[in-house]
Amino acid sequence: MNLFKTELRRILRRRLTLIFGILSAAGLLTLVGVMGAISSKGPSEGDLAEAQIWADEANETNPEFNDCVRDEDHFETEDYVWVREDPAYEDLTHQERCEYFVGGFTAEDYLYVYTFNFANEGQYTLVGVVIVVGLIMMMVASSAIGAEWSSGGMSNLMVWHPNRLKVWGVKLGAALAICAAAVVAFSLLAFGLLYLVAVLRGEVGDMNSAWWENSTERWSRTGLLALGMTALGASLAMLGRHTAIASGVIAGYLIVGDLIVSLVSMALPMDYPERLSLYTWVSAWISGRVELYNWNAEEFVPDVMVITSTDAGLLLGGVVLFFALLATWSFRRRDAA
Amino acid sequence: MPPIIEISGLRKTYRRSFRQPHHALDGLDLEVAEGQVHGFLGPNGSGKTTTLRALLGLIRVDGGTMRIFGEEVPQRLPQVVSRIGAVVESPQFFKHFSGRLTLQLLAESAGVDKNRVEEVLEQVGLRDAAKASVKGYSLGMRQRLAVAQALLKQPQLLILDEPANGLDPAGIHHMRELLQWLAHSQGVTVVVSSHLLSEVQVLCDSMTIVSRGRRIVDGNVAEIIAGHSGASLNVRLPDAASLPEAVEVLTASEPEVKAVIARDKLVVSGAPEPAWVTQTLAEAGLYLSELTTETKNLESVFLELTGTAATPGETVQIGQSVEVAPVEAELQVEGVQQ
Repeated sequence: MNLFKTELRRILRRRLTLIFGILSAAGLLTLVGVMGAISSKGPSEGDLAEAQIWADEANETNPEFNDCVRDEDHFETEDYVWVREDPAYEDLTHQERCEYFVGGFTAEDYLYVYTFNFANEGQYTLVGVVIVVGLIMMMVASSAIGAEWSSGGMSNLMVWHPNRLKVWGVKLGAALAICAAAVVAFSLLAFGLLYLVAVLRGEVGDMNSAWWENSTERWSRTGLLALGMTALGASLAMLGRHTAIASGVIAGYLIVGDLIVSLVSMALPMDYPERLSLYTWVSAWISGRVELYNWNAEEFVPDVMVITSTDAGLLLGGVVLFFALLATWSFRRRDAA
Repeated sequence: MPPIIEISGLRKTYRRSFRQPHHALDGLDLEVAEGQVHGFLGPNGSGKTTTLRALLGLIRVDGGTMRIFGEEVPQRLPQVVSRIGAVVESPQFFKHFSGRLTLQLLAESAGVDKNRVEEVLEQVGLRDAAKASVKGYSLGMRQRLAVAQALLKQPQLLILDEPANGLDPAGIHHMRELLQWLAHSQGVTVVVSSHLLSEVQVLCDSMTIVSRGRRIVDGNVAEIIAGHSGASLNVRLPDAASLPEAVEVLTASEPEVKAVIARDKLVVSGAPEPAWVTQTLAEAGLYLSELTTETKNLESVFLELTGTAATPGETVQIGQSVEVAPVEAELQVEGVQQ
C-alpha cells in the first residue's frame, strides 16, 4: 500500500502530468465556451423573416419549382402515385411537396442558427472527452514508466523493492487508478458544463430512461477503453523501456499502421476489409454495434457482418492483455541494466 | 562469525548476436566480514558493477551462489532488502523533483520513518540544498543524495558503487569519515567499489581485487600491501656503469633471482634476503651505496596484480587485465591469508 501511494504521488507530482492536466482542463473549457458561443435558443422572428426573404428570392430563379407551385396537378401524375399513397407525405401542403420533391429553398436553408441539444449531442461529446482523456492517460502512463527506465530510477526502485511483479502491478494499478479518477472527473465536469450550456444557450432535450440507459452503457464502455489505452501505454513503455518507444509504437500504428492495413486490405481480395482496421473495432466497442457490408456485384442485397460490443471487447481486451502479459514476462526475465 | 556477503562461483555471460559471448563474471568468489569497510576493486570491465547488480537482484546470473546475511539471493532478497542500502553506478533521479521529495517518496514507499529524511540530509551535507530540484545539483551533490537514499533504511549492509565519484576533496573526506563511523561505531558492513585506490587504502579494512570476472586476491588491505612490498629491493652503486655487471653477478649466483636495471638503480627480486645481495656483490668487488626495500602503495600492488600497469608507448586496453585460472586464484588468496 505504501508503494502504491508513493507511485500515485510520484505520477501526480510529475511535470508532464501537471501540464497535461492543465491542457485538458483548458481544452474542455474552450470546447464548452465555443459550444456556448455558437449555440442559441433558436432563430428570432427577424432571423426567420430574413431567411424567408432569401428563400423566396432563390425560388424565383428556380423555374422547375415555380412550375410545380403553379401546377396544382403536378403530383397527380403516374410518377407521383407513391407520394399520394405514402401516409408520411399526406400532411404536406402542395408548396411543401414542391420544395421537398422538386427542389425548392426554404427559410431553414438560410437560417445559420445552431442550437445545442444536450440529449442528442451531449452523449457523443462526452464520449469524445473520455477518449481524449484516455489518450492523454496513455501518454502519462507510458511516460511515467519510460522516464523511470531511462533515468535509472527503475533500477533504484528495484534495489528497494526487489519483488518485480509487485513493482509492475503497483505501477500499472496506480496508472489505472489515476486514469479512472481522471475519466470520472472530466466526465462529470464535461457533463455539468455541457448541461449548463444546454440550459442557458440551447436545449436539454428528452433525457428519458432509455437515453440514460444507452448513454450510461456507452460512457462505461468508453471509460473501459480509456483504461485499456492506459494499460497498453504502460505495457509498451515497460517493454520498450523508453517513453519514446511506447509513444512511437502507438503513434506509428494510429497514423501509418492503419494506413498500411487499409492499403493491404484494398490489395487483398477479401470480404469486409474494414475488419482489419482497429478503428472499426473501437467504433463497435463504443457504439455497441457496427455493420460491415459486402457488396456482391450479382446481388442487390449486400452480405452483412455484424460486430457487437462483445466481439470488439474480446478483441481489444485480448490485445491489451497480450501486451500486459508480454510486459510482465519481459520485466521478470530481463536484466535491469 | 559468518560473512555478511558470500559469493561463490558466480558466472554471468552476455550473449550477443554474431559476436563472441562476453563472460562478465567467470566463477567469482567474494566474502565480506561483518562490521568492516570492504573495498571491491578491479580494472574497468572486470565485473565489479555486474557483481553488485547481481547481488541486488537487478540482473540474472548463469551460475554460482550468493548469500547476504546467510540468506540465498536473489530468491530471499525481499526478506533481507530492508537491511540493505545500496547505490549502484551513478544514480539518476527525476530532475524536477527536489532532493527532499526524492527521499520522501522512497521512504514512504518502504514505510521508513519520515524523520529519517531530514537525518540523512544532514548526514550527507544536503540539508540546505534539500529544497532545490535535482536538475540544479552538481555531480557531487547527486552522489551525496544517492548515499543519503542508501542510508535512509538505517541499513546493516551498505553497498556503494563509486561513492566518491564527483565529490570534491572535502566531500571525499566527509564521506570517508561517515563510512568509517558507520562501520566502526555503528557496526554497519560497508562494501565500496572504487577506482580511487589512494582513498580505498585509507578507507577500507579489507578488500577484494577482481580481474576478468574472477577474484585475484582478497584479505586485509594492509596485509596485502605488505605482502607485495619487500619482495623487491632497490640497489644503487656508486658507479651506475657497474649495474650490468651486478646483474650478471646476482643472477649467476642464484638462478631464482631476477635483477632489472631501472634507470640508475637495480631492482632485485627473488633474493633470499637483503644481506645476501650485499654479500654477493661485495664478494664480486661491487660495493653498494644504497639498499632499500621497495615500499608499495595500493596503486602499485593493484597494477601489479591486475597486470594493468602501462608500459611506455603502449596503452592498456579495456579487458587486457590478467586472466587468472580459478585454482591459481585460490592459491594466491591462500598465500596472502597466510
